[in-house]
Amino acid sequence: MFLQLIISGLSIGSLYALIALAMVIIYKASEVPNFAQGEMAMISTFVAYALLITAKASFVVSFLGALLFAVLLGMFIEFVALRRAKDPNILNLIIITLGFEMVLYGLASWKWGAEQKHLPFPISDTDVIQFGTVVVSHLDIATMVVALIVMITLFLFFRYTKLGIAMKATQQNVIAARINGIRTNRITSFTWGLSSLIGAVAGILLSPVATLDPNLMMDPLLKGFAAAVLGGMTTLIGPVIGGYLLGVIENLFGAYVSLEFKSVVAFLIIVFVLWFKPSGLFGKHYVKKV
Amino acid sequence: MSGLIAFPFISPNYYVYMLNYMAVNVIVAMGLNILIGYTGQISLGHAGFFAIGAYVTVLFIDKLHVPFFAALFVAALLAAAFGFVLGLPALRLEGPYLAIATLGFGMAIIQVIGRAAVFGGRNGLLVSKMSIGPYVLNTDKELYFMIIPMTVILVFAARNIVKTRVGRALVSIRDSDIAAETMGVNVTYYKTLAFAISAFYAGIAGGLYAFVIGFINPGSFTFILSILFLSMVVVGGLGSVLGAVMGGIFISFLNLKLESVQYIPGFGDMLVIISKKWMSVTGLPNISSIIFGLILILIVVIEPLGLYGFWIRTKKYWKTWPF
Amino acid sequence: MSIFSAHDLTISFGGIKALNHVSFEIEKGAVYSIIGPNGAGKTTIFNCISGLYAPDHGEIIFQDMDITNLAPYKIAGLGIARTFQNIELFSRMTTMENLMLGRHLHMKTGLWSGVTLFSSNSKVSREEIVHRERVEIIVDLLDLQSARDVFVGELPYGSQKLVELARALALEPKLLLLDEPSSGMNNEEKHDLFYWIKDIRNLFDVTILMIEHDMNMVRDISDKVLAINFGKKITAGTPDEVANHPEVLKAYLGEEDA
Ligand SMILES: Nc1ncnc2c1ncn2[C@@H]1O[C@H](COP(=O)(O)OP(=O)(O)OP(=O)(O)O)[C@@H](O)[C@H]1O
Ligand SMILES: [Mg+2]
Repeated sequence: MFLQLIISGLSIGSLYALIALAMVIIYKASEVPNFAQGEMAMISTFVAYALLITAKASFVVSFLGALLFAVLLGMFIEFVALRRAKDPNILNLIIITLGFEMVLYGLASWKWGAEQKHLPFPISDTDVIQFGTVVVSHLDIATMVVALIVMITLFLFFRYTKLGIAMKATQQNVIAARINGIRTNRITSFTWGLSSLIGAVAGILLSPVATLDPNLMMDPLLKGFAAAVLGGMTTLIGPVIGGYLLGVIENLFGAYVSLEFKSVVAFLIIVFVLWFKPSGLFGKHYVKKV
Repeated sequence: MSGLIAFPFISPNYYVYMLNYMAVNVIVAMGLNILIGYTGQISLGHAGFFAIGAYVTVLFIDKLHVPFFAALFVAALLAAAFGFVLGLPALRLEGPYLAIATLGFGMAIIQVIGRAAVFGGRNGLLVSKMSIGPYVLNTDKELYFMIIPMTVILVFAARNIVKTRVGRALVSIRDSDIAAETMGVNVTYYKTLAFAISAFYAGIAGGLYAFVIGFINPGSFTFILSILFLSMVVVGGLGSVLGAVMGGIFISFLNLKLESVQYIPGFGDMLVIISKKWMSVTGLPNISSIIFGLILILIVVIEPLGLYGFWIRTKKYWKTWPF
Repeated sequence: MSIFSAHDLTISFGGIKALNHVSFEIEKGAVYSIIGPNGAGKTTIFNCISGLYAPDHGEIIFQDMDITNLAPYKIAGLGIARTFQNIELFSRMTTMENLMLGRHLHMKTGLWSGVTLFSSNSKVSREEIVHRERVEIIVDLLDLQSARDVFVGELPYGSQKLVELARALALEPKLLLLDEPSSGMNNEEKHDLFYWIKDIRNLFDVTILMIEHDMNMVRDISDKVLAINFGKKITAGTPDEVANHPEVLKAYLGEEDA
């Protein structure tokens, strides 16, 4: 039972980890928590749905199409609004992301309405594999594997590719990066695209177990933030671990404390972390220079 | 002023209802403006404080038979207390933490309300008529004479706060928290105070709102409502009392209008055609989200001072006019 | 009698020792200057004193009280005010409002009494008026009349530096910390500033600790000078002693026109 809870916690936790990772990448590049992250993923998932059901495309084409859409959407948002803020302080940047949150939510609800849809998925969530006493669905396994692949690719990307290194440099110090000849504007734009892509992967993986409607990512948005706060927003590994931890804690809470209030766990974790370990489990505390 | 008094006698009932609704929103916007506009801190969970105000007022009256004013006051104090407990840890820190914590708070409150039986769960609560001593306020008109004076008082109270010592301390934090603390301002205390004040205002507004609407359920207090409150402040103009009043009125008006957007002549017809062709007709009312979102984005990109900024610029323009 | 002393101040930022066992002492009523090349650690000393940085080691004594780990607002409450090298004004407040914020610690109006400000005769209004009068004295002293009702963000750089000085004075500090007060000023402005600092020292009961690059000014108005480099104290003494100290000369030779 306990082991079972841990495993399914890790499965949902890997989605939280992806969302948190997507947020932190943007947070480090643009210094704004992206409140549109959830809706960006939600609408990308709807694009997959439209391609699959309405345009009758194959799974591969639909999913790749949705991911491409996600990248363009992320770059678009950065390009048309974020970099054009008149007074780009954190407050104004947050307001912009909230604006997009509303626009995307409204667009999806206008187009697809509130009725719940189902995104067919090539991998079943009812077929299971048995390991001793633990049963794991094919979908859970696929989710964990895909999330791991995405994360490992991402770490390799930041470490070994030219673009990835430039992104990392820009996240750490924009001015120094610019002096070194990096075109930081373009890099920030790519960062938004990449982040949006990661979010979309999470959205698509989530949709078979949730129902596809415009509220798809409302809860996961908060979970992503909770994971990021828990792990610490200054590193990339922190949010990933935070995501897995949150998934497991939530599951255990649901089983042993209260199933009804399981969804309040994310909020409680945020409050606890802020009280007791504000920089998160892995974050560093910076002294502001004056 | 005399216009405000005469208004309910000369206009149809719907407009009286509309003014009540606007006044409630002006109260929220006024409190939120003290937090966002004057102190530079953000809240994405004010629908949560609004909900606390509404539910606690109604329950205290119905279940404990507490008189209206006492119930309203307790509800607002409770909202402020929640604001304090939530604000304190988040406000010690710089960065995005308050935004994230308040987002979580707003969502958690609806979860709790939606699942607990005292709050009527998903079905919500029916609100009985407001009674002040032996008088029962049966109509929107009577409610109007309750709500408008309270709104005026709260607006003036906010104006007084921002004009005096506390207000200056808040603005100093917004403009440079480092300088503020080296000038002797206890930054964490004042930020938390601003947060509690804004929660108090939202609590009062929530209590009044319950009677304006007559029915409350978790669906009336979503994250989208929190953003709507935020857009009132942003649209009106951050850090201006007049701006918050204008923003509250403007966004409330727009929100009511957009509920039946398809009946607006011309524009509505066009939208219906677009909906039939590319979108969906049942989803059309959601266009309000798109419009509010676009307004938020455009304001930050074009005129961060909002309506108030436009107002100042127009005034300047006319003053110097032919030159 | 010494009003202020620092003992063994040490702080590092990720490997860089910004301060390395720095000690010094200031006599009451003195003008004390700190000099040193860029990155020497001068501003870091100020940040430790005003409580923005917590030193890794060492202690800071003000009026016989250990203030090393007090919160910045409490340190201000003891009578230490400062200006910043890169101006930290409340840019969307007017000059008057900036100075009135300087009176924050001396005023009492709280939330509730503020709310009940309804007549020009209330206690709150009277308090405002009393403190406004105090602030006017400083406005007159530093010749800021024309800037009084202007948003400080719109003032020229030189005036902004003065408003910052005025705001610090409004706190009625016993110890005033000035971080490069003359930087960015033209000669005429520097000249005025120079006399004002003398006036301030004579008119108010204040001790001044100043970071300054202009050696002429340092020599003319300081009673004592501390020279530091790479976070370490080189020497402390009268302006002439310090200016002629071989290591000070060496530190500045590398730096052409400092
Ligand atoms: N918050 C901080 N984080 C990291 N490094 C810091 C911080 N504050 C100061 N430093 C470092 O400490 C050293 C001393 O800095 P400080 O600002 O005290 O120099 P300074 O003597 O005031 O120089 P200047 O004449 O340029 O103002 C520098 O190397 C600086 O980069
Ligand atoms: Mg310096």
